[in-house]
Amino acid sequence: MSVDLFSSNYFEIFNASFSYDIDLNEMGQIYLDLQKSVHPDRYANASDQEKRIAMQQTSLINQAFQTLKDPVSRAQYMLKLKGLDMNSETDTTMDAGFLMEQMEFRESIMDARDKNDPLAELDSMAIDLNNKMKDLMDAFTRAFAEASYDSAREIVRKMQFIIKAKKEVDELSEKLEDELM
Amino acid sequence: MALLQIAEPGQSSVPHQRRFAVGIDLGTTNSLVATVRSGVTETLADDDGNHLLPSVVRYQPDQTPVVGTLAKSHAVTDPFNTIVSVKRLMGRGVADLKSLGEQLPYKFADTDSTVPRITTAGGDVSAIEVSAEILKSLKDRSERTLGDELVGAVITVPAYFDDAQRQATKDAARLANLNVLRLLNEPTAAAVAYGLDSGQEGVVAVYDLGGGTFDISILRLTQGVFEVLATGGDSALGGDDFDHAIAEWIMPQVGLDESTIDPSIARLLLREACKAKEALSENDQVELDIELSENQRWFGLLTRDQFNQLVDPLIKKTLMACRRAMRDAGIEKNEIIDVVMVGGSTRALRVREQVGDFFQQEVLVSIDPDRVVAIGAAIQANALAGNDPDGGMLLLDVIPLSLGIETMGGLTEKIIHRNTPIPVSRAQDFTTYKDGQTAMAIQVVQGERELVSDCRSLAKFELRGFPPQVAGAARIRVSFQVDADGLLSVTAKEETSGVEAHVEVKPSYGLNDSEIETMLRESMDYASDDMKARSLREQQVEADRVIEALDAAMAEDGEDMLEADERDTILSASELLIQMRQTSETAQEIKLAIEDIERASAGYVAKRMNASVQKSMAGHKVEEFTVEEEKP
Repeated sequence: MSVDLFSSNYFEIFNASFSYDIDLNEMGQIYLDLQKSVHPDRYANASDQEKRIAMQQTSLINQAFQTLKDPVSRAQYMLKLKGLDMNSETDTTMDAGFLMEQMEFRESIMDARDKNDPLAELDSMAIDLNNKMKDLMDAFTRAFAEASYDSAREIVRKMQFIIKAKKEVDELSEKLEDELM
Repeated sequence: MALLQIAEPGQSSVPHQRRFAVGIDLGTTNSLVATVRSGVTETLADDDGNHLLPSVVRYQPDQTPVVGTLAKSHAVTDPFNTIVSVKRLMGRGVADLKSLGEQLPYKFADTDSTVPRITTAGGDVSAIEVSAEILKSLKDRSERTLGDELVGAVITVPAYFDDAQRQATKDAARLANLNVLRLLNEPTAAAVAYGLDSGQEGVVAVYDLGGGTFDISILRLTQGVFEVLATGGDSALGGDDFDHAIAEWIMPQVGLDESTIDPSIARLLLREACKAKEALSENDQVELDIELSENQRWFGLLTRDQFNQLVDPLIKKTLMACRRAMRDAGIEKNEIIDVVMVGGSTRALRVREQVGDFFQQEVLVSIDPDRVVAIGAAIQANALAGNDPDGGMLLLDVIPLSLGIETMGGLTEKIIHRNTPIPVSRAQDFTTYKDGQTAMAIQVVQGERELVSDCRSLAKFELRGFPPQVAGAARIRVSFQVDADGLLSVTAKEETSGVEAHVEVKPSYGLNDSEIETMLRESMDYASDDMKARSLREQQVEADRVIEALDAAMAEDGEDMLEADERDTILSASELLIQMRQTSETAQEIKLAIEDIERASAGYVAKRMNASVQKSMAGHKVEEFTVEEEKP
């Protein structure tokens, strides 16, 4: 069976089954092995043509690994392979309860500053968000396996909210750390 | 009697011939060159036994520029013609220099070029030319020591160098007639030397504080692979700034003001400041005795506490960068097994102390911070030159700063984010905002900020002549490709009409090709005949490489992979090239023959490379192809 990198999907490149639940350690090992065979440094004395192909192949492998490594971009990529574009602006109705929860969460980030130990407060928020993310990842795995792509897409939107909130928490922690240093 | 050596069929026609390659650490304060000889990696000394070459160049009327120690001895007496710390000017535009300007005593020439030129008694020179002099000096040293021509060099750059600074470094090498095998990030080079020496596996931090640049890189070391997880830094922060802080502390005490100070006195203060800084690594305090003029002498005392106060804000800046790099890498402090200190400025005890506190561990200072970068570069140069075919070493690096383009309202749209592994390519679609629009200006920027004006502009170009349509209908795909040196090229294409534009990103602050050609022509080393001979030689070398690689490939799998007619086409192209190589007097003819053979063998090359991918996957489970039905 032959595999042509440029006509493979990202999962095929890493010999992984087409499922959201991937083994990142195993994939990381394959990534390194692939790099060992295609990286431009391996072709330093080759013709310009081979150098060019090596650069293109390595670029592709890098992009594939970056995409699959990140939980949000992995989910988006899987939906894209199913023909669902995440960037379309249509039917953006979201779970009202989730939105409410997010707004409250944003407010509590703002309030953290005034707490007794704001950094500890922010740390526990970060843990909370990580747990929520894990739940969403499980939910996506199930939804995708059941081919409920609409709900899978909504889960991705929720993931994006969580990531954004996580970023805000991190940024505030950093700012507070700066002030304390 | 020694046994005769016989090469494997298709292998190098001259077996066991060593291809000399060097690693060059082109530093702000000092530069070094190293190579691998008989399995030992060592830095090379000049005729007087000095390994460090001061990165100082002095220009005099009608004379070849003087590089190194001799030039350095004139730094105080002849500040305008003696260029120090030129690395800080690499890839900088005229506007950048205004912000750095106060620290620089040079006179800048008015020029049409976007590249600033320093006026010296020997003529106006750009930073690229000054750096080229330093590289030439190291190249000469290497060829004298090794007794042979170099096949190429790995030149190190700060990991945090942006595209313009990298391109400037590569241009300097080109002016020095030095073949660049790879631009290598300094902390990555240090990690190679450290990793191969210690045999450690795990996550390490390399803290590299040089004369004028700071880098922090977080790397994972596994089975000979050096994978950079994140990098950060400041390409305008280094030990020089410690000297400036001390000098600025002295100035008011001797009744001098930075804005009116005589350049010679400024250099003198900096030299004394540097000495005091170095002395404080050994002593708790240092007495200053500065002869400002014949009848003015100043005595002062600098204690370590005072020094710490002066440099702490600078060190704190580096620690901020460390924190950001760790977050980008997704690594916690307790996962780091070693903090490797690199660069002459990590000799300052305060730096070691603060960095140790930050990472909550004793920092590693047992390796020579001056030489480790050159050593690492030499190891990679040796591998890239093909002297280490069985070595499994591989360096995977990242891009230090995000790359993007300007969109409406002067905002930056990032296309490749910082700390993405390189090489990398990425494309993004944009559209028109006006009805009937037939052209689009594309500004390529590098940096983390939202506003284009806060980022570094790398290039501007226009895509013209696509058909007028209603606003939002055109689809302009902008593709970025970053190569293994971290250098960017950009292509823009209007998808509905196929109108295309391509730029190697360099015009904004780099020299353009014609400027480089002119410089090469003007420089005495390359009279016109030499230029021709040189490009002919280059094409001959390239032809040899192509023939050698093709022979080796055909011997290995030409029978299996090629149909008879395909093989015949390749062989006849190959024969033509061999003939051209031997008879042609013009570079152009050989070049055309090389292009022919590349066309003829394109399919074969692609097949072989795919086969090599297959081979590396063969070791893994083959369960993947059960998912065919999942394909969209």
